[in-house]
Amino acid sequence: MRSSSDRPPAWLWPRAAYVHVPFCAHRCSYCDFAIAVGQDHLIELYLDALSAELATLGTPEPVQTIFLGGGTPTYLSAAQLARLLGDVTRWLSAEPGHEFTVEANPGTLDADKVVVLASHGVTRVSLGAQSFHPHLLRALERDHAPQDVSRAVEIVRKRIGQISLDLIFGVPEQTEGEWQDDLERALGLGPDHVSTYGLTYEKGTPLWKRRGRGEVVALGEEQELALYARGIDTLEAAGFEHYEISNFALPGRRSRHNQVYWANEAYFGFGMGAARYLNGRRELNTRSLKGYLQRALAGESTTFQSEELSPEERARETMALQLRRKEGIGRAAFRAQTGYDLDALAGPAIARHVELGLLGDDGGHVFLTRRGKYVADALIERLL
Amino acid sequence: MGEKPPSPLPLSPGGRGVGGEGGQCYELNLIDTPGHVDFNYEVSRSLAACEGAILLVDASQGVQAQTVANAYLAMENDLTIVPVLNKIDMPIARPDEVIAEMEHAVGVSAAEVLRVSAKSGLGIDELFKAIIERIPPPPGDPMAPLTALVYNSHFDTFKGVVVYVRVMDGVLRKGQRIRLMRGATEHEVAELGQFRPAPTACNVLSAGQVGYFMAQIKTIADVHIGDTVTDAANPTDTPLTGYKEPKPMVYSGLYPVENKDFEELRESLAKLRLNDSSFVFQPEVSEGLGFGFRCGFLGMLHREIIQQRLERDSELELVQTAPNVTYEVLTRKGEILAIDNPQKVPEAGQIEEFREPIVRISFLLPAANIGDLMQLCSERRGIYVRTEYLSPTRAILVYEMPLAEVIYDLYDKLKSVTHGYGTMDYEFLGYRPADLVRLDVLVHHKRVDALSTIVHRATADRRGRRLLKKLREEIDRHLFEVILQAAIGSRIIARESIAPMKKNVTAKCYGGDITRKRKLWAKQAAGKKRMKQVGQVDIPQEAFLAVLETDQ
Ligand SMILES: Nc1nc2c(ncn2[C@@H]2O[C@H](COP(=O)(O)OP(=O)(O)OP(=O)(O)O)[C@@H](O)[C@H]2O)c(=O)[nH]1
Ligand code: SF4
Repeated sequence: MRSSSDRPPAWLWPRAAYVHVPFCAHRCSYCDFAIAVGQDHLIELYLDALSAELATLGTPEPVQTIFLGGGTPTYLSAAQLARLLGDVTRWLSAEPGHEFTVEANPGTLDADKVVVLASHGVTRVSLGAQSFHPHLLRALERDHAPQDVSRAVEIVRKRIGQISLDLIFGVPEQTEGEWQDDLERALGLGPDHVSTYGLTYEKGTPLWKRRGRGEVVALGEEQELALYARGIDTLEAAGFEHYEISNFALPGRRSRHNQVYWANEAYFGFGMGAARYLNGRRELNTRSLKGYLQRALAGESTTFQSEELSPEERARETMALQLRRKEGIGRAAFRAQTGYDLDALAGPAIARHVELGLLGDDGGHVFLTRRGKYVADALIERLL
Repeated sequence: MGEKPPSPLPLSPGGRGVGGEGGQCYELNLIDTPGHVDFNYEVSRSLAACEGAILLVDASQGVQAQTVANAYLAMENDLTIVPVLNKIDMPIARPDEVIAEMEHAVGVSAAEVLRVSAKSGLGIDELFKAIIERIPPPPGDPMAPLTALVYNSHFDTFKGVVVYVRVMDGVLRKGQRIRLMRGATEHEVAELGQFRPAPTACNVLSAGQVGYFMAQIKTIADVHIGDTVTDAANPTDTPLTGYKEPKPMVYSGLYPVENKDFEELRESLAKLRLNDSSFVFQPEVSEGLGFGFRCGFLGMLHREIIQQRLERDSELELVQTAPNVTYEVLTRKGEILAIDNPQKVPEAGQIEEFREPIVRISFLLPAANIGDLMQLCSERRGIYVRTEYLSPTRAILVYEMPLAEVIYDLYDKLKSVTHGYGTMDYEFLGYRPADLVRLDVLVHHKRVDALSTIVHRATADRRGRRLLKKLREEIDRHLFEVILQAAIGSRIIARESIAPMKKNVTAKCYGGDITRKRKLWAKQAAGKKRMKQVGQVDIPQEAFLAVLETDQ
């Protein structure tokens, strides 16, 4: 096993790994993730395939963060989970002080599964609460009930240190009052971390089709903005730090794994549809379950898309991603990581947006202001 | 630009052998003329090469404005007019009514009018007889030194310039050394022919005949329409009077979206000009649009034709500014400036007199629509001249009007007021002083030169407000409030603003989302590239034509 010191820097060689479990009970109305519904008979085979893909590492890799996402990892039975975590920890060896997150669905988590998670070194559970209002959960076609969330929090808390709650805002017909209520109920459960995601109508999803047919009406820009702002205000008032566009954490409770993405550092990716970023090359595994199983089990590459960015493209991408963070882009770190001078790439554009009050610049860092966060995408596009 | 009325002068340039009375053979040389007012100069040129004119009127449509205009042109040229009523085979033909209109409108007598159908052949023999009887044979002396009128030309990729001539005196032979008198250039006739009606080679064209020749002339610019062709060894000493060069009436700027395409655009324009010397262009620079060309056209139809050819022949992405007519400014110092671009308008303090081109415009329309049309004309600053009734239901209305008020959409407006039954024709009268101003547009406090227009002071406020409304629709929201202003000099006359984008942020950005996002950014950046950036504001191409559509 390699030691930390002889590895290339973190933006080239990963200290982070993502593992994907695609199975779900059914598809939520807004979901366009790489998932598999009604394929439960393939779970065991999938675990075989995943184990084969992990084995291509050759030797166990030391990592600081692992993220087991989905799909719904907790849709697996306790025994299947144990097998999966066994394989994962065999090939990805957690370094001291590591973070190991598992995504969980409040409806499918039980005490047995939590024991399995904890015994394999899981330090953090991210619970998809989304809302505490039954009609909003229905609109999203989530298959859990509001009370499942508090129950899940309770059993996780007994064994695992950190809990994050996911909430969705901007659901059709959602009022500001309902959103405020969701935020307060989430806070009432004492999470370490909260993610608030503005609902997006992804092409091809059931919700997108319904909007196209006029069956649901998306909230207006002003309403969405009011909800987003209310989320920030409420969570900040409760002592949470708004450390990324959609993420809030108590001091010391940020998601270290997700910060790897926003720093544009390297990460491994295993499983169907998983993305990885190694040595400046971005790769995506196939999103087809059959294809993934066949290839992984035959010992073939599961990569279906791969691209290597030029140094300048990489630098610009780094700029775009880092700007999502509270601390924004640090000039010195940026130069060390990309080899480019931030101001040479975007100096005039930065100055213009500082003038417009959308960016802040303290000399060391360039970061989004509150208003800048609201229009981050349009702003980033203009910096590129 | 709408339908073309049937032309009053018929057929392809053609020479045709006809068996006349008593077995005698006659040769008729025919020149076809275009039907749109933009190309009226071609009608005049053709008339100067003829002895007579066949005035064709459609029996279902009746007399049109062009019919009248062209009949008068023929009379001015002392041509014999043979009035013909065509399409009498059609069930909706109303021959008697239309002949009555012809009597009123152009003063022919009902008895002279020949009733024919080009489709069924009815009355065609009578028409030939009438041509032979009524139109005098061409004068001219085959023994005199060669004098031939160049009445048209076109460029053939294989053969070079093809020159269309009417021989007035003398003879033109294959192999002859000829001189084009204006440029005093000499050439050898390589090929000679007649239109029968397809181009057919022959060895000689003599006095009175119409035909074409090729003489290895490389560019159309070397051949002046209206020039005289004579024999190099035995030249005439009296060249023909020739024609006035048609002057461009409408100008607009043409800019490549990508500055690097400038040279390619120049080449494309030069190629177009090869075949159309009435189209002119010269390089110009705009602060907002960069390097481009100011192009001159005979009219809006001509502009549209050129634009279509450009689109067909090249892949260039172009921004076109709103068209304007040519104005004149008399400066305090007594100079006269031709203003083909609003940018060239001098400071108000230097202007003694601002002048605009005026046309006399004739409308031929159903009498029932006269009221509506008069209303339209007065909105367009028209000065009423007269009304003439051709029949109880049809009338000619004559106005004098600024050309600027005519070119953009008056034809469409006429069609809509008259439900398609009205026609119009106009002729240039001259320049007259008017209370004109340059209306500027400021986008985010920066003047966008390509959006400036010259307007009458009385309409400036209204035009300014409408223009800004239209721009507001065309320009996307930005990260800041975009201020639009219309100004005359330093006085702001209208203001609009485009509210800034309020929320534009995607919630999730994790491992798998990054590539997708990057592609999205690249796509959006490509979309932006097709816009013109003025200051910090991206202006789409459509916005530059917004000026045109503010006149409803
Ligand atoms: N029924 C009928 N149709 C005719 C007759 N003569 C011409 N047409 C039709 O009228 C239409 C116009 O004919 P053109 O010869 O193109 O008319 P033009 O005046 O030369 O038009 P421009 O070249 O555009 O100026 C064509 O569709 C002809 O077929 C006729 O005697 N009877
Ligand atoms: S649980 Fe998550 S992954 Fe599964 S369908 Fe719903 S949103 Fe998609």
